[in-house]
Amino acid sequence: MYAFLTGPMFYLSLAVFFIGLAVRVILYIRGLDWKLDRVAYRAHPKAGLKGALRSIGYWLVPFGTRSWRVQPFMTVIFFVFHIGAVIVPLFLLAHNMILKEKFGFSFFTLNPTLADVLTWGVLISAILLVLRRIALPEVRILTTGYDYFILAISVAPFVTGLICRYHVGDYSAWLLVHIAAGELLLILAPFTKLSHIVLYFMSRGQLGMDFGIKRGGMNGKPISW
Amino acid sequence: MPEGTLCNKQPIDTDEQLKALLGDKGGKVYYEEMKLLEVDQEKLQDTIRKTMKSRIKTWLKICAHCGMCADSCFLYRINDCDPKQVPAYKVQSTLGEMVRKKGRVDNAFMHMAMETAWAKCTCCNRCAMYCPHGIDMGVMVGYMRGLLYQQGFVPWEMKIGAGMHRVYRAQMDVTPEEFVDTFQWMVEEYEEEYAGLTVPVDKEGADIMYTVNAREVKHYPEDLAEAAILFTIAGEDWTIPSSGWELTSLAMFAGDWEACRMQVESVYDAMERLKPKRMIGTECGHAHRATVIEGPYWAGRPDGKPPVESIHYVEWVAEALRTGKLKIDPEKRIKKPVTLQDSCNYIRNHGLKEITREIMSYMVEPGYFFDMAPNKEHNYCCGGGGGFNGIGLYRPQRNKALITKRDQILGTGADLVIAPCHNCWDAIRDLEEEYEIGISWSFLKPLLIDMVIVPEHMKPEE
Amino acid sequence: MFNKILFATSATEACDHAARVAFAMAEKYNAHLEIFHVLGLPTRAYSQVVIEVKTRERIEIDEGYCDWVKEEVRMYYERFLEKLGDRYAIEVAIGVTHREILRTARNTNPDLIVMGGSTHHLEDSAYRQLITGSTFQRVSGAAHCPVLVVTRPAASFWGGFSKIVVGTDFSESADAAVDYGIKLARSLDCELSLFHAVDISGLAMGQVMIQDDIEEKLRVARKKMRYRYLPKLEGFTDYSIDAWEGIPYMEIVKYTREKQADLVIMAHHARRFEEKKDARMGSNLEQVIVRAGCPVLSINRTVGRQVDAEK
Repeated sequence: MYAFLTGPMFYLSLAVFFIGLAVRVILYIRGLDWKLDRVAYRAHPKAGLKGALRSIGYWLVPFGTRSWRVQPFMTVIFFVFHIGAVIVPLFLLAHNMILKEKFGFSFFTLNPTLADVLTWGVLISAILLVLRRIALPEVRILTTGYDYFILAISVAPFVTGLICRYHVGDYSAWLLVHIAAGELLLILAPFTKLSHIVLYFMSRGQLGMDFGIKRGGMNGKPISW
Repeated sequence: MPEGTLCNKQPIDTDEQLKALLGDKGGKVYYEEMKLLEVDQEKLQDTIRKTMKSRIKTWLKICAHCGMCADSCFLYRINDCDPKQVPAYKVQSTLGEMVRKKGRVDNAFMHMAMETAWAKCTCCNRCAMYCPHGIDMGVMVGYMRGLLYQQGFVPWEMKIGAGMHRVYRAQMDVTPEEFVDTFQWMVEEYEEEYAGLTVPVDKEGADIMYTVNAREVKHYPEDLAEAAILFTIAGEDWTIPSSGWELTSLAMFAGDWEACRMQVESVYDAMERLKPKRMIGTECGHAHRATVIEGPYWAGRPDGKPPVESIHYVEWVAEALRTGKLKIDPEKRIKKPVTLQDSCNYIRNHGLKEITREIMSYMVEPGYFFDMAPNKEHNYCCGGGGGFNGIGLYRPQRNKALITKRDQILGTGADLVIAPCHNCWDAIRDLEEEYEIGISWSFLKPLLIDMVIVPEHMKPEE
Repeated sequence: MFNKILFATSATEACDHAARVAFAMAEKYNAHLEIFHVLGLPTRAYSQVVIEVKTRERIEIDEGYCDWVKEEVRMYYERFLEKLGDRYAIEVAIGVTHREILRTARNTNPDLIVMGGSTHHLEDSAYRQLITGSTFQRVSGAAHCPVLVVTRPAASFWGGFSKIVVGTDFSESADAAVDYGIKLARSLDCELSLFHAVDISGLAMGQVMIQDDIEEKLRVARKKMRYRYLPKLEGFTDYSIDAWEGIPYMEIVKYTREKQADLVIMAHHARRFEEKKDARMGSNLEQVIVRAGCPVLSINRTVGRQVDAEK
């Protein structure tokens, strides 16, 4: 089982993840229609690029936009969640050992304490995100079972990872669950809302181009997000 | 497929149809017929398939349901934070459902969608600035209006408005002859006071081609005189086109894209015909958006620009004051508390925030200008945008929506609200009538007329 | 002089005094009378709702409604209309009052516009911006014919023009008012009084004015009037020329009363875009209108030019 999950399944999930998301990006860009979207993407590449980069950039910075600033609670849990969710899987020491073994390269690795903090951060902020969904009427009305499902599959690798980290219960069994959860996440990403891993950049970039090209970007001071 | 005689899926293309619809007071018969109007589900699905591309599809799919857009929406805030007014909900429960159900929706659903599209959203696009994913719900509501219009589920006044553009290429029944005649009449009325005042009609190669809002012609022609006076004082080489003079587009509010195209093409034709250096439109927000920002796309212009450089009136005013073409008598600057209404359609959606403030710096005595909070691209809609002002059916909702702007104005302590936008001007007038907070409101032109220095050669001979 | 008269009315009591004069004039001078009523102010951006001028209710307009209002107007003036035979027409319009009056005047080219008193009940609303300075100010400022206003009942019991007072401040339009007065007096065979008031209202505000100076001013004014206007009066005998000191509009009202005049003619200076300091006579005109015991006719520069051209 372990061999399967770390062998064929590992490669398969990575392939689905990368190819799937690449297809997402390609389909998104191919589906842009200057006339229907009413944005002259091609005619003004410079303004478009500037708008897109500003739009993506400001929103990647905590409190970088007015929206982040006026909702500080959400901003904190959002960034704690996302920073952990991106950094830990990529730069965890154990993960990089596997990388080195499988592909012959590795990234720099996280200080173990920091990795713990970040992982707990993901967990706690996920719980707060759930509570927020339940507590706030304006979020509750939007929430569907699907949203909880997405959150669950996103958090599962972290929960199982922590269980392994602290050697709770049967380590090797939990390790299998952890690997499976991670691979499930990779496989589902292109087919679910998790595709926002790339589509965030597309969508934000598109709106940035919209404002950058058409809605004033070439007309005085650029928009302050 | 039952369709009413007044409420149906056919656009209005003749004067007789217009008269028939206008004759139906308040749209009583029209709305009765709408209750029986069948949804052409196949056509709906087909249209969605053909026109909904990756941008809107992605928006609908990746919305994280985080609710961060809620507070950005003035209609959500003013309606006691009703969760049904959360922008994402408004879109997901209407357009989202249409897509998920593959167009298989019924009459009651379409009624709900119509109310959402015209009474719960003014397409001010403020929510787009608060969504982490960059989802512009105003754009989606605009798109949905097109679907609803195609199916005949559109408020009475909007159907009439779009019909006016189809029949008259203007939002009201004003013919080219009436337009030119009214402009000339106004110039006659004021040439006594302003020597040399004229209105050049259809002059080729002028520096400026001026376009207006049909309402000015119909009810407030002083506005035309004021424009003529200011252009003349500034020594501009300007002209008006005898056809293609209407800048506005109620068709845009209605979601009648075909009529939108017909309307802007009439203006672009005038540009091609007269070859002016620039087109300047009157103080109107949605009109600028229709003709200058969105129009090029309806007309299929790949560069997204009108045939000649087109600017909003505030851009011209700022330029004229900056370069000294118009000089303000410092004695006559406004010396009472003043605030400025940022029109969504050219501030948030066309980046003119600094321009209008520059104008204020010339017109208002230092210390008397007070900005609303929030302002610039984060300002709230006046409460009457996107067609909301004109729809009788949704009057109570509209009146409630005005409270946001009322409180913003009260917060500035201003006596005078400068609103260089017809829609905002109307909404602010209505809010004063409804809530009586003792403010006055104005376009830029009449204020400028009172304070600019008239050159000697234009002074009346005694 | 008066072949075609445009009577702009709200068809309410506010215009009853003006109506009496308008109908009597039409009858006496065999004129065609166009009774014109603006029934509603447009509202609500591009909605079809208008505010009814009379009831202030929000209504929706269609052709049937306009016909019904026309009928209402006809009924309101029924007893006067009988005497006119077919020499009248009733028109209604939707729009901003002064604008629609000017629009119809431009189309029909009347010799005179007759208007009633203020419709002040409208001006306390949010629509005040649309009709500030009163409808009269705007109509008389821009009309291409003289505008006659009757606001007081005392001004309306009237049996034709026999004694005319013209107030002058020697401005271009005032000269035109004098010209028009002379023309009118000649053609209707009236007695004509030319009058100037030396403004001493500064006295009340503590300004020092020596009586000798005032009297000198009066002498100069009389001389000036004779110098300016006598040549125009050639062949006309039934006139007088006077100058009094005081608050101008009060003096004009008093003078008119003393002369038992049945018409005051004054110049209209103020136009909307003009500087406020020039509007002094305009406010005098308004004051005379609300105080005089007879109808007041206002002449603006445009009309003045026409009178000039005719000479």
